[in-house]
Amino acid sequence: MPDLPEHLTKPFVNLLLAAADDKLFLGHRNSEWTGLGPILEEDIAFSALAQDEMAHASALYELAGTLDGRSADQLAFGRKGAEYRCAAIVEVPDEFDWATAMARRLFCNHFDVLRLERFSHSAYKPLSHLARRLAAEQQAHVQHVDDWMVRLGTGTPESHRRIQQAIAALARIAPQLFEPVESQDQLVAAGLYPGRDQEMYGQWCREIEHVLGRAHLSAHLDAFNPEDRGGRRGVHTVHLAAMLDEMCEVYRLEPDAAW
Amino acid sequence: MVNRVIDRRSIMDVLRTIPDPEMPISIVDLGLIESVEVAPSGDQSAVRVVALPTFVGCPALDMIRRDIEDRVGALLGVRSVEVQWVNEPPWSVDRISAAGRESLRAHGVTVPDPGGQLAGSGAATVALTVAGAVPCPFCGSIMTRQDSPFGPTRCRMIYYCDACRNSFEHLKRV
Repeated sequence: MPDLPEHLTKPFVNLLLAAADDKLFLGHRNSEWTGLGPILEEDIAFSALAQDEMAHASALYELAGTLDGRSADQLAFGRKGAEYRCAAIVEVPDEFDWATAMARRLFCNHFDVLRLERFSHSAYKPLSHLARRLAAEQQAHVQHVDDWMVRLGTGTPESHRRIQQAIAALARIAPQLFEPVESQDQLVAAGLYPGRDQEMYGQWCREIEHVLGRAHLSAHLDAFNPEDRGGRRGVHTVHLAAMLDEMCEVYRLEPDAAW
Repeated sequence: MVNRVIDRRSIMDVLRTIPDPEMPISIVDLGLIESVEVAPSGDQSAVRVVALPTFVGCPALDMIRRDIEDRVGALLGVRSVEVQWVNEPPWSVDRISAAGRESLRAHGVTVPDPGGQLAGSGAATVALTVAGAVPCPFCGSIMTRQDSPFGPTRCRMIYYCDACRNSFEHLKRV
């Protein structure tokens, strides 16, 4: 394993956990659609998307575990609420409103691809190698959600109204994806998370505006206010605890069970 | 005591008999095997197989690992087998051998072509080349369309042939 400066290990693990946690909970939320998708193809799609996100989360937890000492299962299911590093947008329930589920994927997917791009240039080789693999698989996700934005936005008056409403509601919390983890500036300076947060934010806004423009939709996105403490620093919505209770019900019965 | 030396070639021969758990193709033709290392271990050999996952976290990986350990471990002269999954170099559909492509096609699964050319063979050979077209594995027609960008496993999509009215699967390009 390559060397990582001692004082950066914890922030770096938190950076990996932020990515893994985003994927774990987005995957869980998407898996709730299995059997309930509005059409067969989207039932398959959401089940596949959930599997992808969970598999990617698992790979990132394993990598974090090599530095932290805990197993992927322990990291996924065995932490206290405040130890999670996911953003609010993956925590909120979609109330089985498919427009909300898709709007969430729009904001998260474009963010995820840009984050994986930065990971793929990380000085920490195990991360850069993994990120290149994940980014290749993630392309299909972006294509899927972008195509659906155009279909829904230019479909019927009802589809336009409902997707626009969902986008407007989630646009209020979506920029919290950009909240930095503790000591993120040091990770950037050390080349472990190369690139600039501000540039990534600009790129994310441009990509989303471009897709929504084609779809005759719009979103008002405010920059993240660094004063706001949120999920990346362990401050979560009430929805996270409820989701963890459901996801960890079996795990907590016998945390050391071999599967 | 019998001193047996195992060579790389006989290990590759064994690996060629291990099928992918979900598709009719050997793990060697699928391009999973990056390298095989044999080191002496006492009077026997320690074998290390370096393999590339097709999709990260694919549930078939553990089954493949066990198959490699069981079958290579059964060779005389092998003391231990270690399977290591690595992400570098990344696996890509371009690592699938010609024989592997043909075997998949015969079972109704097509593979994205590296050069954008139609990789027709046998009955499926067609003269036309259309960028992006996926020829039907059954009748060779290019009157095909994507039915779903997601499929029965994470690596496959569902296509439909309007000419012979068959569904088929197409591997995602990674």
